[in-house]
Amino acid sequence: MKTYLAVITMDIKLALRLRAVIFFNYLFPLIFFFTFATVLKGDSGAMTFVVTMSVTLGVLGSGFFGAGIRAIQERELGILRRYKVTPITPTPLLVGSMVTGWIIFIPYIVLLLLMAHYIYAMPLPQHFFELLAFISLGLIAFRALGLVIASVANTMQEGTILVQLFYFPMLLLSGATFPSEKFPRVMQILHNFIPATYLVQGMKNMMLRGQGMAEKENLLAVVVMLLTILGGGLISMKLFRWEKEEKIRGSAKLWVLAVLAPFFVMGIWNWWRS
Amino acid sequence: MDNEPVIAVRSLQKSYGKVEAVKGIDFQVGSGEVFGLLGPNGAGKTSTIEILEGLRPRTGGDASVLGFDPDRQKERLKDRIGVCLQATNLPAKIRVQEALELFGSFYSRSLGAEQLLKRLQLWEKRAAYYETLSGGQKQRLALALALVNDPQLLFLDEPTTGLDPQIRLEIHGLIEEMKAEKRTVVLTTHYIEEAERLCDRVAIIDEGKIVAMGTPRELQQRSQNRSRIEILCSKPLSADALPQWPDALETQLGEDGRALTVYSSHPARTLVEMVKWLDQGGVELVDVHLKRPTLEDVFVELTGKKLRD
Repeated sequence: MKTYLAVITMDIKLALRLRAVIFFNYLFPLIFFFTFATVLKGDSGAMTFVVTMSVTLGVLGSGFFGAGIRAIQERELGILRRYKVTPITPTPLLVGSMVTGWIIFIPYIVLLLLMAHYIYAMPLPQHFFELLAFISLGLIAFRALGLVIASVANTMQEGTILVQLFYFPMLLLSGATFPSEKFPRVMQILHNFIPATYLVQGMKNMMLRGQGMAEKENLLAVVVMLLTILGGGLISMKLFRWEKEEKIRGSAKLWVLAVLAPFFVMGIWNWWRS
Repeated sequence: MDNEPVIAVRSLQKSYGKVEAVKGIDFQVGSGEVFGLLGPNGAGKTSTIEILEGLRPRTGGDASVLGFDPDRQKERLKDRIGVCLQATNLPAKIRVQEALELFGSFYSRSLGAEQLLKRLQLWEKRAAYYETLSGGQKQRLALALALVNDPQLLFLDEPTTGLDPQIRLEIHGLIEEMKAEKRTVVLTTHYIEEAERLCDRVAIIDEGKIVAMGTPRELQQRSQNRSRIEILCSKPLSADALPQWPDALETQLGEDGRALTVYSSHPARTLVEMVKWLDQGGVELVDVHLKRPTLEDVFVELTGKKLRD
């Protein structure tokens, strides 16, 4: 336990000392929030869209850049190699990354919701804490996905390409930045297969319709995100590499698809229903 | 040295695909001994040391370190050893004291950060970020991290490579302190003076094989006993007039005829005869040097290569 505590404490300190972390976790989504909120002020439905977008931007940034790219950086710089000569295993490092991301991110979510309510008159969600729990699950799931990408990428260049391949479609097709109801048919189909869709949809359900996590469609999203956390965590541990010289086989990259399998099943299910 | 070896290696092999980096080597290291692995880049030193640290699996042979099998009992072994890696890094924004406290938390026992910082002359830098440290300070921190669990066995992989001579001397002093504390140290290096100064025994490794092993003095004595006598005379000598001095193996006269170099198997006897001959000829000695063979000479003789090839 002392190892876990030491790793998490140090991770938090290091994250707060990095300007990039502050920028991508707080300032960047807040710039979007204030820009859109100022334009759409007074329309509570539109404010929900703005909050959902700002949260999704933060979750994706934290998962792919905060967890994924940082893990690759630590490996490339030889930092993980120093850990390798000690008795520590990958588990505290991976758990530490997920917990740190959550601790840094949750104050931002609370701040965002309170600002939307007190400055821009958005009603507070009926199930405030359930919404926080739902977003927390989403955050940890996307950090797990980021760590899997770090595990299968052999170089920073590969990792950056993989991250961009995930980040932009999730941002554009999940309904976080454009209303999914207005998507053409093909984009509607793709929308069902995007992991971030379930985070966005769940947040909208909880903020606009007053639903809790136990509602059927949210519960499915919760299960899928839990499966992602579990699968992502296990795969990251299995494929964890301490040194950049330890390369992974091309076929091992297919493990990313294994983590995405629950979302794929959900996509098929929703497509079939529609 | 205690009877029970701290490290025992038998027929150790390591291959990377078709490349054989370590080709069946054998050695033992006793308690309290400073054991050096000496060889050029790519000789197999780092592969050998990393197998013993539990960082890489061996391809063949047996290895026992503190009674543990480095392949099967990695975590228990890592808890007991200290390692200073050849190439490593820490997060740019970690403070010196934080690094020691963090790494100390990974072990079942650890020394206090304050004690280590003072000992490694890093106390003044305890609040500095890693990115602001000089090369020497980073290396001292690397040594402090290697000592954080108070290990009885330390692996130091080229601990002074790339450091300036002053810092290198400081690091040598620290390693001598470890030796005085009866810690067992395995040191890889391609600096001859480092091996000669610090090691009780040295294994010369080349192309994955140990080509010679012994104390630095024993190895030097094996160097065909080719000591070098260098004399500078007051006036030029004629090459044709030079006699065959006793035990002289080779004689060279410089272009100006004043610098005389003689290789000898028994340099004292040869030198006495040379001085007599010069005196009889009315030639004064301006300067005299007697150079014993170094480990570098031994290495060149055994492998035909220079250590920094």
